[in-house]
Amino acid sequence: MKSLERVLGPERYLRIRNTSVLMVGAGGIGCELLKNLILCGFGTIHAVDLDTITLSNLNRQFLFRQKDIDQSKSLTVVKAVQNFNYNDCKLEGHHGNIMDTEKFPIEWWDQFSYIFNALDNLEARRYVNKMALFLRKPLMESGTTGFDGQIQPIFPYVTECFECQPKVTPKTYPVCTIRSTPSQPIHCITWAKEFLYHQLFDELEDKTQDQRRQLESETLDRQEIDNLLRESNELAELRRMVLEPGSQFAQELIHKIFQVDIERLVNIESLWRTRKVPEPLDLLELQHELDALLQEPRSQTILVKDTSTWTLLENLYVLIRALESLQKRISSGEESCVPFDKDDEDSLNFVVAAANLRSVVFHIDPKTKFDIKQIAGNIIPAIATTNAIISGFLVLASLPFYDQEPRSRGDFGPVPQTSSTVFTSIRPNKYVTAAALSQPSPLCPACSLSARGILHVSQKDAPTLGQLVEIIKKKYGYEDIALILGKAKLIYDVDFDDNVDRSVLEVAGFVSGELLQVQDDNDELENLEFYISLGDKNELPELVLRQKVKEKEKVKENEENGTGELNNGALEPVEIIDDEVEEPPTKRQKILDIID
Amino acid sequence: MSLCKTRLQEERKQWRKDHPFGFYAKPNKAPDGSLDLTQWTAGIPGRPGTLWADASFPITITFPEEYPSKPPKVKFPSGFYHPNVYPSGTVCLSILNEEQDWRPAITLKQIVMGVQELLDSPNPDSPAQEPAWKAYSKDRVTYEKKVREQAKRYATG
Repeated sequence: MKSLERVLGPERYLRIRNTSVLMVGAGGIGCELLKNLILCGFGTIHAVDLDTITLSNLNRQFLFRQKDIDQSKSLTVVKAVQNFNYNDCKLEGHHGNIMDTEKFPIEWWDQFSYIFNALDNLEARRYVNKMALFLRKPLMESGTTGFDGQIQPIFPYVTECFECQPKVTPKTYPVCTIRSTPSQPIHCITWAKEFLYHQLFDELEDKTQDQRRQLESETLDRQEIDNLLRESNELAELRRMVLEPGSQFAQELIHKIFQVDIERLVNIESLWRTRKVPEPLDLLELQHELDALLQEPRSQTILVKDTSTWTLLENLYVLIRALESLQKRISSGEESCVPFDKDDEDSLNFVVAAANLRSVVFHIDPKTKFDIKQIAGNIIPAIATTNAIISGFLVLASLPFYDQEPRSRGDFGPVPQTSSTVFTSIRPNKYVTAAALSQPSPLCPACSLSARGILHVSQKDAPTLGQLVEIIKKKYGYEDIALILGKAKLIYDVDFDDNVDRSVLEVAGFVSGELLQVQDDNDELENLEFYISLGDKNELPELVLRQKVKEKEKVKENEENGTGELNNGALEPVEIIDDEVEEPPTKRQKILDIID
Repeated sequence: MSLCKTRLQEERKQWRKDHPFGFYAKPNKAPDGSLDLTQWTAGIPGRPGTLWADASFPITITFPEEYPSKPPKVKFPSGFYHPNVYPSGTVCLSILNEEQDWRPAITLKQIVMGVQELLDSPNPDSPAQEPAWKAYSKDRVTYEKKVREQAKRYATG
């Protein structure tokens, strides 16, 4: 008997040998995870990723080598593991977007007994979560950021799904805050990178009209708009100087950006009623010291002091050096533009120094190069060890599911009760903590609001929209319904019957892979979400609908909680399994912002 | 996200059951023959007895994907004369501002009533356009004349 068989137990071993699992994402966690899946002997493993390999992946995505750069991650990863594929697992790599419904229709998803997420973005996580809900398959969700990591087994409709805990969406800043009235370092960094650097060195499209329109929708002040547009035009002039070697480009730019523009802003009094007035740089006053710094060869060392905060003069020095270097690269014809890249020293130095100088002008604390690199480069620290530990837990946590004979769809037996979500961190006594899985949130926008199933529609013998409405009403017991296709296209309700006589196939957007939501007009039954599958039969899924929780009660409950959020009210208390932990893990909602 | 469309259809239903007198609100028809629940057209009647009376002012309401976490954007036709309406027509109102008084529980009805209220009670501390704001604060005669002229253009039967 093989040792693996002894470890897993003969029955479980056999089930694992004969099953097929899906791994979504072949990056930091994916590499570690695939290794573990293979060494555990999973019979068939499919790996999906849309990405190609880059240099910065190689430090932790250990299945990739220098020679693999620019190759597909998913295809490379399945080849790379072959030399330790001792259990003869069948491997299939798919280079593509997991959300592509033509490449990965729901029938394709149905071949897997378990889905493992090794993803780095919210959109794909939400999509896979939804597929797991449709198919009622177990999903293992994961994420890491630095030393923090989390795994969450999801048993659809039995335990919390990915969307039961509300996720924070990334913040965007109004143009006016960025351009006229910054108040935090991030505003200055965004300005330096997205606006100033972009305007000077990156590829440009003509967006003057868009810019005016966007500004007008935001600001109160015509004077401010005109001023901002004027700034942009002048910047375009300066951009031309980049191409003229030997011009006073650096000096002119600094003079304009940190003195003239700021002086003009100061004059718009309406902006400074409630804010501290910015202070333009006085370059004449600084010139003497700056020249000395520029002539001193040892000043070079400033550039590598990336964890100390540079002085005003040091920032000016770095900015001038970066400008000279960038100008040289572009005016020599080597490059026509230099898009921002955190690993391009010139572009990074420019952004760091420009952001800090702007901070000084607006009385904001400057930051170190190291800090700004993280922010401007959207770097979420990735640590190979965390990924490895988390991937270990991913596979271990999936094994109990194979302890039992396969049951009917959506029935996971006692497994959800004994499964836990696991967190790792470097806080003492909290290296590894576990928590029992919570019940689905009754306010979850994904798993509480509706039942789900696949709607099969025959391409030869499709019903009209009106017929479909009647069939749905009769089958599930609705009195009246509204039908919403995709994101927000209403195709039918009691007040809108324009389309009822058309065949559903003629309703725009009624295609395979699209979602069709059924909403009860009488508010009695829960909503229903169909995944449309066009084929050779007409068939509705067998589902028993639950009574709806009344919207009004939910709102009331939320008002009482003081959150006002519709989807925020019902957080279940966390039950801690580990005795040594006194506080609940604080990383409950973590998975969202986590990379590979 | 699914919360957005579910809520929007709910708003449509509530509006059908009960909406304030003289108002209308409906999702726009898309070129493909469906109704786009994220784009609405509505009419705000001026309150009787005010400068805005006997007219119905058209607005568009655009709901973002993050609705109801984030508020919709409400616009009059561009160039609309009101101290708190930007030149583009965008309405500046605290309940429509995520950082101020927007809450996900605010309904379509409350939004349109809020806009109606704003018509005759501008907020002088939050100017959004120069002409109406200046006139409102310094030259009330001109302001009232302009508002009346505008109301005439949007007069109801």
